[in-house]
Parts: sequence; C-alpha cells; structure tokens
Amino acid sequence: MFRVVLYGQWKWSRIVVILGTVAGFALPILSVQGASSDPTSAMKAGELLSVIQSWGVLYPVLAAAIGLLVAIATWAPDHRGRHVLALSLPLPRWRYVLLRFAAGLVLLVPTMLGVLAGAVLASATATLPPGLETYPVALAVRFALALGVAYAVFFAISAGTTRTAGIILGIIGAVIVVQVVASAAGIELDLTNPVQAVVMNWPGPLAIFTGRWMLIDV
Amino acid sequence: MTNAVEIHELDYRAGKSFAIQDLDLTVPTGSIYGFLGPNGSGKTTTIRLILGLLRARAGTIQVLGEPMPLRAPTVLARVGFVPEQPHLDPTLTVCETMRFREAFYPTWDGDWAGRLLRTFDLDPNHPFGKLSKGQKGKVMMLLALAQRPDLLVLDEPTDGLDPVVRRDMLSALIDYVSQHGASVFISSHLVHELERMCDWIGVMDNGRLVSHMPMEQFKNGIKRLLVSEAPTDAGSAPFAVLARDRNGAASETWLVRGWESGMTAWFDGRGASVQSIVDLDLEDGFVELLRTFRRAPHGQEVL
Repeated sequence: MFRVVLYGQWKWSRIVVILGTVAGFALPILSVQGASSDPTSAMKAGELLSVIQSWGVLYPVLAAAIGLLVAIATWAPDHRGRHVLALSLPLPRWRYVLLRFAAGLVLLVPTMLGVLAGAVLASATATLPPGLETYPVALAVRFALALGVAYAVFFAISAGTTRTAGIILGIIGAVIVVQVVASAAGIELDLTNPVQAVVMNWPGPLAIFTGRWMLIDV
Repeated sequence: MTNAVEIHELDYRAGKSFAIQDLDLTVPTGSIYGFLGPNGSGKTTTIRLILGLLRARAGTIQVLGEPMPLRAPTVLARVGFVPEQPHLDPTLTVCETMRFREAFYPTWDGDWAGRLLRTFDLDPNHPFGKLSKGQKGKVMMLLALAQRPDLLVLDEPTDGLDPVVRRDMLSALIDYVSQHGASVFISSHLVHELERMCDWIGVMDNGRLVSHMPMEQFKNGIKRLLVSEAPTDAGSAPFAVLARDRNGAASETWLVRGWESGMTAWFDGRGASVQSIVDLDLEDGFVELLRTFRRAPHGQEVL
C-alpha cells in the first residue's frame, strides 16, 4: 500500500526532489569554494565566517522551498481528483493521510542526504584557519529538521482546498522569506513581531529556521 | 436477506439552495437499481452520502448491512465505485493505476483485470490523464469490476460516451452481475439506457425521491387517456391518477398508473367515456412523472 502511494508521489515530485538534492549537495561545496577562492588562499577566520554565514541563509530558504513544493506535490493528485479517490478507498482517513505524509517524508530524504554528502565533502576539502572547525553532521541534521518542519506545516495547509491553501501558503511563504532574508541581512524589519515571537523564537515551531547556519564555526 | 442499500429519513443540506429531505430508499440485494433524475436533482449527492463521502444531518444509511459512514472502510472494500468525473491520478499509466488499486483491495482479481484490459482495448502503458473520455470511463469501470465488489455504485458512468463505448461498458457490467449476483446502483439521466438493464427504478427531483418501484411496474400501466365529460372526482377510480389537464370544455387528458383493460367501464358508469388510450414508454413516463411532481403542492412522492 505504502509502496504504491510512494510511487505515485514520486511521479509528482521527482523534479523537485532531484533539483533539491542537487542544490542541497552543491550548497555546502559552493560555500567553501567561495571562501577559499580568495587570491591569498588563506582567509582570516573572521572573513571566512562572514562568507560562510552569508551562504548559510540559503539553507533555511532551501528547506522551506523544498518542504513547500513536496507538500504541494503530495496532495496534488488528490486535489486533481477532488479527493474522491481518497475518500472512496477502503481505509480510515487518518491512515490515508499518514500514508501520504510518510511518503512525502521519504521523498525528502534524498535532499537531506544531498546536504550531508555536500557538507562532508566540503569539510574534507576545505583549508581552515586555526581555531575553526567544520560541523557537517550538525548542519545536515539541522537542515533535515528544518525540512521536516517546513514539510509538516505545508502538508497540513495543503490538505485544505486549493484556494484556501494557496492563500495561506502565499502569506506564510512571503512572510518567512522576507523575514529570513531580512534577518540574515541585518535589516530591522518588524512585520509580525508578536507572531514571530511565538512562532520563530525558541521553542516556537519555526525557530529552527532562524539563527546562524554554519558549516564552519569556531 | 438484507438490502444492499437502505436509507431512512435522510436529511442533507448543501448551502441554502440545495437540500435532500426525508429520503427513504431501498436497493434490494441482487437488483440493478436505476437512479433517474434531471441534472441537479441530487443523484450524485445521494451517491456520495451512500458511500460516506458526505455526512448527512439526520437519518440512517446502511450499505451491505453495515452503517455508513461509521463502517466506511469495511463497506468500501466491498463496493466498486465509478464516479461521474475521472478521479484517478493523471500521471499514472493504466497499468500503474491498476497496481495502485490492487494494493488497496484484497479481493482484486488480476487475471480478470487483464482480460478486461484486452476486452476494452486499453493500452496499459498510456498515462490515465492522456486517455480519451471513453477510455477513462473504461478504466474506471475496469477498476470497479476487477475488485470483485458485492455492490457497484455507478454515477452516470456512460455520460457523454459514444454508443460503442457505452455498450462495451454496460455489457461488461451485465456479465459481471449475471455471474456474481452483485447489486448495482446506477444513476443516469439517460432513460433508455436504464430501461434496458434495470429491474428497479428510483426517480429523484429537487432533492426528493419522486418514485421508487420495480421497473416492470413503472413501465407497465402508465397510460395517457383522452377522456370526454370527465368526472370531477376520481377518488374511487381503480387506477392512480397522476395528472389531469383540461383540453377544452368537455375533454381532459389524464395520466394514469395501474391501468388494465376493462377499466373503461369505470368511466362509462359516470357518464364519461375514454376516447383514446396511449401507452407511454419509460422516458415519457419519467417526464410526466416529473411534471406531476413539480405541480404537487408540497413536492410529495407521487407514486
């Protein structure tokens, strides 16, 4: 049962999964290459951390984007069929939702592994100034958690009607992207301060998206 | 023996404009029940209520002896459903769609599914979304039949299909029913299609069941009479008067049910006479029935 659901979802989300995996693999490698492309080839620790931090903004953005697109693809066949197939199958609705959710989670694994592989490879090839260390596994685990949270949130929203989901997703997506980019760029932006305090600050559900995403740190 | 479907005093409301009220309906086990009604009469809504896709406000539904929607997973494992609109994943091929369905139905008959695939002349490697309307209809019928259901619920399965495809689908359906004794609940507004295959008929209009009876009873005995000097009171008539229209000063057209030869004597005894008797086919009977129902003061069941 799970296998056929997974296969159906793979057909809907394979382009997103492949692109996400490639992007996830490339991101840590590119961030380190950018750091070591300096002509002196011996960046100071502070400069390197600054470069790594600026690349780090892209991890939560990638996690949110892949989570969003896979969640949409997860429900897409049901939305197309107006949920008639899902409702007329001989199994409880909660079980069908779990099947869909689990299949989507499995489809996130390649992207998670892509980030892990890219981070390990980048760590192995990077030349670091004294006092700095690489954290490929920590970065990959954090990315996996963020991807899982993004997927879960968007999965729940996408379960509604297309119109409702579109409105909510549009608002949330825009707020998250603006907030994350502004936060990384150091811009004082108070779009949703009260909501942000609850949602984005620890122990809020989206706290994992904020803060520093560092492959290399002290 | 329990009925395949039993509905009692069902109430359902969708917004302010449409409601199903006090619906009582019984589909005898082993019957082919034709569910007739004009577009928007509530046929699809009733089917969705039967299958547990919608929740009623009041009333009870039993399908194959089990309460719905309480026992939906158990019941749906024994029901083959063909909805009005294609509902399958358009990216999957016909073969993949069959595999998907097989995973959910323990009674799936792969050999027979393969035979139906050849009978319907379907390409198993063609994506469902790129099939023609007729081919999509065939795939949906194939899936419903290959799971070996005890009850088939078909919502206008042949609507918009060409006669050849329609005949292929219906003959596969009749073959299955004749071999396995399954019950069929089929909705349509194609009266002649139901006339050929159904043994029970129910007519819906405006969210209410207008009529519900064996097909033979429905087909036989509906007559249009031209009556001269018609009596005012027809309460004691040995037949049911469905409608009467005045043609002029001395003549009326009556629509009656339960007519038998020799009943002209009832008119003779009241100073009236029957000028002509016209047999109505199912479509005429259906149209007259709806016309009568819509004239009735409270939309009461007319038969």
